[in-house]
Amino acid sequence: MKTIAVDLDDTLNNFTQTLWETPFAYHERYAVEPGAFGEYLDRLRTQPLAVEALLSTEFAYFRAKIHLECYRRAEARADGIAFMQWLKREGWRIVICTHRDLRTSYDATRTWLADNGIPFDYIFRAGNKIVFCKLWGIDILVDDNLFNILYGGQHGVRVFYPVNDQNRDVQGGGARGFETFDQVRPWIAE
Amino acid sequence: MDRRVALIKTFSRGLPTDRVKLEVSAYGFEFLSQLRIRGIQLEYGELTLSNVLHKYKLTNLTESQLDELLEWHVAKLCNVCLYFDRRANSVFSFNLDNNYAQGGSHLIPEVQIAVRTLVERLNEVNCKLLVVASGRGYHVWCRLATAVPNERLYPFMVHAAAGSLLVLQQRGLDTNNMKFNLYPDIRIQDLVSLRLFGSKHAKNHVFSCILDGEVLLDEEASWAYFEDYVENRAVPLDTFNSAYDTLVKFPP
Repeated sequence: MKTIAVDLDDTLNNFTQTLWETPFAYHERYAVEPGAFGEYLDRLRTQPLAVEALLSTEFAYFRAKIHLECYRRAEARADGIAFMQWLKREGWRIVICTHRDLRTSYDATRTWLADNGIPFDYIFRAGNKIVFCKLWGIDILVDDNLFNILYGGQHGVRVFYPVNDQNRDVQGGGARGFETFDQVRPWIAE
Repeated sequence: MDRRVALIKTFSRGLPTDRVKLEVSAYGFEFLSQLRIRGIQLEYGELTLSNVLHKYKLTNLTESQLDELLEWHVAKLCNVCLYFDRRANSVFSFNLDNNYAQGGSHLIPEVQIAVRTLVERLNEVNCKLLVVASGRGYHVWCRLATAVPNERLYPFMVHAAAGSLLVLQQRGLDTNNMKFNLYPDIRIQDLVSLRLFGSKHAKNHVFSCILDGEVLLDEEASWAYFEDYVENRAVPLDTFNSAYDTLVKFPP
């Protein structure tokens, strides 16, 4: 059976745009002092890839709460929905492959997929999606992540990525960028 | 049934048996098909890079299927992690761990002091504990004779944990260096699971032995201790209520 792995955030949805444009207001559910709220939100928006020395912190809890809201609020790409429905009709096995912590976001993720009519067979969290695809025999990965764009090809994983400001000028890796999901349909048949 | 499985089932009585987090090296779509054929549902999977370990949240398990997984668990072929009941539980646990994201595979003084003070504090109020060394930390379990509502267990655990952290602070140690997770946690009901005693830790592949005082028992002695704990050391409800009053209602 043909199998494809597809990322969620900034691939099927507009996660980063949602993070920047949602007017988050202070609430005690974030478990931070009012004075820290704005600073944390700014840090979350401007340093999305910052590596933290500690695992469990006030900021990590805050980030998880804000991200969960973004998962719920983010809009699905219309061409992405059509692409996923086309995959299903064509008999593909669809694996949603994400960095999300599914322990806390599984329900929100599943609800969002259902609400947007996005079919899938399995949901997996993978720290390294290339390793995941190799182990599971998945040749095709649709993902915006720069690491996967650069290194997927070296490991036999064909990566297709939505072009954005971060990856527009990427060279090498053998991955192919797309403006619309419609472009991907013939590519994965090659 | 393996005697060890029977002990684990007695220990974990009251925890949901229809769902588990399974930690195992097995993977692949054929593996998932076998689960599905047997009526087991996969909510989601996870690939961690710790020895290429796969984790699966499985639901819709029958009791005999869980028994089978527990047989694998004691045979060290997988780890079975159970979820806690949404309303009330007759076991609760503290998970004390190193909080460093990188290079934190060793036991740090903060965790060692915290587990010691936690055990001392709960022993003082007659709550008998089962302390299991787990990776770079400890699972500190307590088994009750009767299920207690989570709304009562949680503040009890918070106060006990806070007492340990206070000792760290008084000794000039940084409490941020360690994590103190509580099970069940009323904030994240039904979302997190905890590995049962009786198997190897997924990261270091070492059997999780029991700590008896300052002595880490070997595997055989750990099972003997576990058997005694399960059979003789469940905390009666009135003892727990008294401990609750001491720690929560009238803290020192």
